[in-house]
Amino acid sequence: MNQIASQNAPSPKVVVPHFVFGALIWLGVTLLIVFNPDVFTQHYFNAELLAITHLLVLGWITMVIFGALYQLLPVIMEVKLYSETLAKIAFVLLGIGTLLLAFTFWQFTFDTLMFIAGVLIVTSVGLFVVNVLFTAHSSNKKVIERAFIISSVIWLLFTVLAGLTLAINLSYPFLKVSHVELLKLHAHAGLVGWFVQLIIGVSSKLLPMFMVAHHVNTKKLNFTFYAINIGLPIGIVSLFLEFKIGVVFSVALVVPGIVSYLSFLVEAYKKRVKKQLDIGMKQSVLSFAILVIPLFLAFTLLSNFNFLETITIPLSVAYGSAIVIGFITSLVMGQTYKTLPFIVWLKVYRGKVGKVVLPLPKDLYSEKVAIAQVWLFVIGFGLLLIGISATSKTLVMISGILLLLSVALYNFNILKIVLHKPTNK
Amino acid sequence: MDTEEKKIFEMLKGVVDPELMVNIIDMGLVYGVTYDSLSKQIDVALTLTSPGCPMGGIIIEDAQQTVGSNYPDFEVNINLVWEPVWSVEKLTEKGKAELGYS
Repeated sequence: MNQIASQNAPSPKVVVPHFVFGALIWLGVTLLIVFNPDVFTQHYFNAELLAITHLLVLGWITMVIFGALYQLLPVIMEVKLYSETLAKIAFVLLGIGTLLLAFTFWQFTFDTLMFIAGVLIVTSVGLFVVNVLFTAHSSNKKVIERAFIISSVIWLLFTVLAGLTLAINLSYPFLKVSHVELLKLHAHAGLVGWFVQLIIGVSSKLLPMFMVAHHVNTKKLNFTFYAINIGLPIGIVSLFLEFKIGVVFSVALVVPGIVSYLSFLVEAYKKRVKKQLDIGMKQSVLSFAILVIPLFLAFTLLSNFNFLETITIPLSVAYGSAIVIGFITSLVMGQTYKTLPFIVWLKVYRGKVGKVVLPLPKDLYSEKVAIAQVWLFVIGFGLLLIGISATSKTLVMISGILLLLSVALYNFNILKIVLHKPTNK
Repeated sequence: MDTEEKKIFEMLKGVVDPELMVNIIDMGLVYGVTYDSLSKQIDVALTLTSPGCPMGGIIIEDAQQTVGSNYPDFEVNINLVWEPVWSVEKLTEKGKAELGYS
């Protein structure tokens, strides 16, 4: 029999803890939003917002991506994961490092503890990168998705190294550039280089597969790859040198690249055989609609319109929130329903066909709960953006409560999936 | 196709793609069935919608179990094939209707 993807799948013990940890951190963040709404109505370089942001991008999003990628790399590259042990060590280091980092940011103390947290995170990412690169090396599938994944993990390593440098620079200043500019550099390396590229690499394989869409033009993705990987370094260097025209040029390259990727997705969507989209795919489609908001805000902020001068800071916070809490979080929540039930389902039912009642993977979670979760998220996220733009603490707090309810339902479904047991015939 | 092979085709309608929720016959995933009463062997040529399909293992296991439980004295082989590559044209009318594809 030929080699098939499911034979390469890693042990669920490697993958599942990432989802559980990530979902709990996301729940914790919504509590922080409810009790500290004012952090979203100040300048983005404030202690609590830095803590919340790092909990979100490392503890929630990166954590889930690590877990999902261990499952998806064998699907995309058609080989086994290089090392499950490295994956387990990276999980522990990232978990401890992120909690420590968030604590030190919250205290706004840039001492040894922050340095230790940074080293733990850099080590975790280093192990993850080694795991991905060795897995990719053993694969002979030289496809564009592979290029995106390799590039994204290298950008992740750059991002965390830049973060560690920033933390050291806060205690022992040795860089002449302002912290705010360095923060922009660090954030965009992570958001575009790591998250957006990783999402493009994985989704361009998975979304057409989930929708059963064939003959989609992948040349559009080649343009996206070069646009991002030429545009982003130009932007990073320009931010470091505080050279504004370079930043504008970078955005003018990266944004059309992302638009080209979106056009690939639209083509896949139109050519799909499976017309009915399940709740996971609906939330994923929603997240791509949300992506239009930060793209629009990026141009608005760069345009320096005089009438917007007084709200530049709120719009900047809204821009970051639209990417992290809007686009990426929504996509991760949606795709959880496309990955986690299958991982658990395969673990529970492999070798038991005919012996137990065989449900469908979608039966492992409550669809009604998932639908309520999506609606609460949409309203909560919308109010959050309005609250931030209008610098209204009350609106931010209300949005936090709605997001808290949404994430509580999400956690309920995660637990329901993870604790699923088979029924004997 | 002889009577037994037709029976096996019908049986395989009980095997459902867990992602698409359509059976593998209406998905057009079964390319052929051969039934040999002399050597007591049944061969099923099966493909998947994509080589990366994470459901492949379970679909094969389900097909093996479905045919094997009805022919306990036979050797049942589910052979995964990639040529010709699966395409939309392989869907039956019923399969298209279930997916909402026109």
